[in-house]
Amino acid sequence: MQDDTAQQPTNPAPTKGNILIIEDEYFISELYVRALKRAGYAVELAVDGADGLAKAETDTYDLILLDIMVPTITGTEILKKLRNPSNAKQIRAKIIVTTNLEQSEENKAAIEAQADAYIIKAEITPKQLVEFLAEIG
Amino acid sequence: MNHSEHLKAQLFRRIYVALIFVASISSLAWFGAREIVGLNYAISGIITGATVLSTCLFFGGLLTKIVSTPLDALTQAILHVSPGYEENNSLAPNLEKVRLGRELVTSLSLQVYQLASTESAQAVDVTSHRKEVIQAINVINHLPLPLFVFNGQLIVTNASEAGIEYCGTTSAEIFGKPLEESLRLEFPSESTLDNWITECQKNKVTNTIFWERVHVSLPDGTTKQCDVSAHYNRDNPSGADFIVTLFDRTESYNEDDESMGFVALAVHELRTPVTMLRGYIEVFEEELGDQLNDELKDFMHKMGVAASQLTIFVNNILNVARIEQNQLMMQLQEADWPKTLNKALDDMEIRASIKGMTIERNIATDIPTVGIDKVSMYEVIANLIDNAIKYSPNKSKIIVSAAVGKNGTAETTIQDFGTGMPASVTANLFEKFYRNHRTRGKVGGTGLGLYLTKAIVSAHGGQVWVRSKENEGSTFGFSVSQYAQLADELKNSNNKDIIRQSHGWVKNHSMYRR
Repeated sequence: MQDDTAQQPTNPAPTKGNILIIEDEYFISELYVRALKRAGYAVELAVDGADGLAKAETDTYDLILLDIMVPTITGTEILKKLRNPSNAKQIRAKIIVTTNLEQSEENKAAIEAQADAYIIKAEITPKQLVEFLAEIG
Repeated sequence: MNHSEHLKAQLFRRIYVALIFVASISSLAWFGAREIVGLNYAISGIITGATVLSTCLFFGGLLTKIVSTPLDALTQAILHVSPGYEENNSLAPNLEKVRLGRELVTSLSLQVYQLASTESAQAVDVTSHRKEVIQAINVINHLPLPLFVFNGQLIVTNASEAGIEYCGTTSAEIFGKPLEESLRLEFPSESTLDNWITECQKNKVTNTIFWERVHVSLPDGTTKQCDVSAHYNRDNPSGADFIVTLFDRTESYNEDDESMGFVALAVHELRTPVTMLRGYIEVFEEELGDQLNDELKDFMHKMGVAASQLTIFVNNILNVARIEQNQLMMQLQEADWPKTLNKALDDMEIRASIKGMTIERNIATDIPTVGIDKVSMYEVIANLIDNAIKYSPNKSKIIVSAAVGKNGTAETTIQDFGTGMPASVTANLFEKFYRNHRTRGKVGGTGLGLYLTKAIVSAHGGQVWVRSKENEGSTFGFSVSQYAQLADELKNSNNKDIIRQSHGWVKNHSMYRR
């Protein structure tokens, strides 16, 4: 799914920053990748948790959109690993949890402690996501 | 005293009669012996003397008995209530036996008993105190609830047997140590045992509190879910400053969590296609807008509205499940009410436009900031506007007004000019699944919107009301508290740097400051 070369001839040069999307729903990732590329971000996609974690650890991203229900390693686990304070190297990316799954109180507290933002996907359109990300570093 | 005068008179009469009797019988004896029988002086004297002696002996005994019976009864009453005489098996006086002066003895005995009972209540009787202590220890030990007692230094001084068993340990492991070495309590909110203890020691003399859904980690590594109550009594001489009782609700809470888990999963499965629908519809509207004719554009628009309606319905299901599991938690934060309201109305306007309706806004700008949970409050506004649209004719208008109301709350009203309803309907309107039978066949709905609206507004400490007239329309109103007036415990102090929005949250430090 890596496609850094512009799919759309209208895409501006990616200058706004690098985004990693960890998302297994094909339709949703297609929409997000498209909207973010059009908005000027360089976008990379991981369709499962293990791949997502490996990519995130390269620390080449400004923002990570992290789905909670992804195969192999769950989003909660990825978040815990990336934000583990005993990790020698902390990645600089801001992590935005994107999910449609209602979290248990336990998970909610963990996500609130570790993530930078939280989005219920059904509540926003791709365009609103772009606007939301524009407000975040 | 009437009773004693009465007794005196009775005694006097008896003694008087006895003396006259003795005098008469001795005169008769003398007269009989001397004049009738014709005995000499000496023998007549002896006979008269013997008669006087024997009648005096008889009356003396009788009068002594009459006088001493009330005294005996009184003595017995006093002995009966005196401490130390229990061993003598002294009985209560039998007042039936007292013939003379019974009224006096009865009233005096009653006074004795009364005095004795007040005396024993006031005095600390060592024996009975010891009994009370033993009884209290027995109650604690056999109370079928885990109960822990600790002193002002938070050291455990006592625990029920059920408590020791609950921890799966021995009293030696618990007593004399801080409670957290045996039990770790995790509270669902900022209101925790530690915070409560600090608050008590600072500001309270006695205090009682109750928590629900507390996670309890036991020494063997298991986790339970309990309701917890705690009582505080400052400087309790017996070292029982704090008493904590656990009510194990693990089974029922786990069941709740499982059914909540099912709802969460169902909601996830519904939200995923909604996300896609809204995404693709947006692409069409944004990018193909110029290429579509008006009719197709209108269709696209309607699809978008339908998708967002589905989002609200899904959120309603989720919230009803939360209410039923008692898990509807509000994260109240400071918010600009006109801004929040306007933003929600912008979204609703698209929906109103489908029926050619307009939303007239009459929103005061001087409303002080309110304390709300943005996600839930968005649903309140969406549900009320959705109803106004559903029950109004095409091309009519909705008037949304907001102003400072009673007690400084922000009051918002949503007025429509639709079907309205009679008082018989408005009375049950906020009940779950309630739907107006007159319109049920014509207008779709689940009967959950207003039930949720009321639950959410109530959870904010506000009120919901309705005024309606059939065929003229309805006005729904609700109030939310000013942030400054919110009780501190309602404020979301948990994560102050989290800014909540209708679709999620973002951390304050993540925002670009302008």
